[in-house]
Amino acid sequence: MNQIPVVHFLYLSALLFGIGLFGVLARKNAISVLMGIELMLNAVNINFLAFAKFWGQGSLTGPVFVVFIITIAAAEAAVALAIVISIYRQLKSANVDEAHYLKG
Amino acid sequence: MTQTIFYLVAGVIVASAVLVVTLRNLFHCALALALTMFGISGIYLYLGWEFLAAVQVLIYVGAVTVLIIFGIMLTRKVMDDNARVMNNQVLISLIAALAILFLFFEVICRSPFQMGDHPSAVMMASIPTNGSDQLVAMNSAPQFYANDVAALGAALLKPQNGFAFAFEFVSILLLSALVGAVVVARKDPS
Repeated sequence: MNQIPVVHFLYLSALLFGIGLFGVLARKNAISVLMGIELMLNAVNINFLAFAKFWGQGSLTGPVFVVFIITIAAAEAAVALAIVISIYRQLKSANVDEAHYLKG
Repeated sequence: MTQTIFYLVAGVIVASAVLVVTLRNLFHCALALALTMFGISGIYLYLGWEFLAAVQVLIYVGAVTVLIIFGIMLTRKVMDDNARVMNNQVLISLIAALAILFLFFEVICRSPFQMGDHPSAVMMASIPTNGSDQLVAMNSAPQFYANDVAALGAALLKPQNGFAFAFEFVSILLLSALVGAVVVARKDPS
């Protein structure tokens, strides 16, 4: 347990964040974008827990933040999927680049 | 042995995350996402947060992935398999993602965390040596702590921690997300 340095957790989380960011920016389908956002949120959670374990001095603030992030991510997923379904009804498509009604 | 398991799980996480953003079939993407979340809960277990690992499996693998699969099934009709899955800014997105990745790696490499394999070594190095009693206190502090569910619950709800208001606020957020999702997704009555 003690042999793995904390930076390896940080590298893993940075990789996961980068992959998620690419998914958010490059995918066409709105649901894929949502999956990319979930990946990015989980990267943040790994960072929180690794720091809480190695540097936390027994403080539980990191895990508490992780609980909040998981809760808010679940709420966000529910609302985002409702919006996707609503857009699909309007446009008969779930692609984000076709939803440009607000463009001037 | 445990190191091997960590790097194996990390490899599975990164590989399945790449699959999530590159696979053509959205169903396969959702399944790869479930695998990623399983791997991340393994990392939580490895770090010793068993309760959060269980929560991760319950919420992400159990709830969010199922929700996403429902969303895919409800919006599936128009998707043909020959359509492009990426938009026309793939190159710019790749450059942006690689740039932010490079930035993160650079910051991690230059950070003081890199200095020692174990946090205590880094802490010792970063503490000015004028207060010797402080050093002793740091030295004698236990490195790993019991982190059971009761301690987490107490940390959430103890008034002096200041999370109690946020805890109640998040419950209101969940309720409004529930109602909002129903309102947004229902058919227009007119």
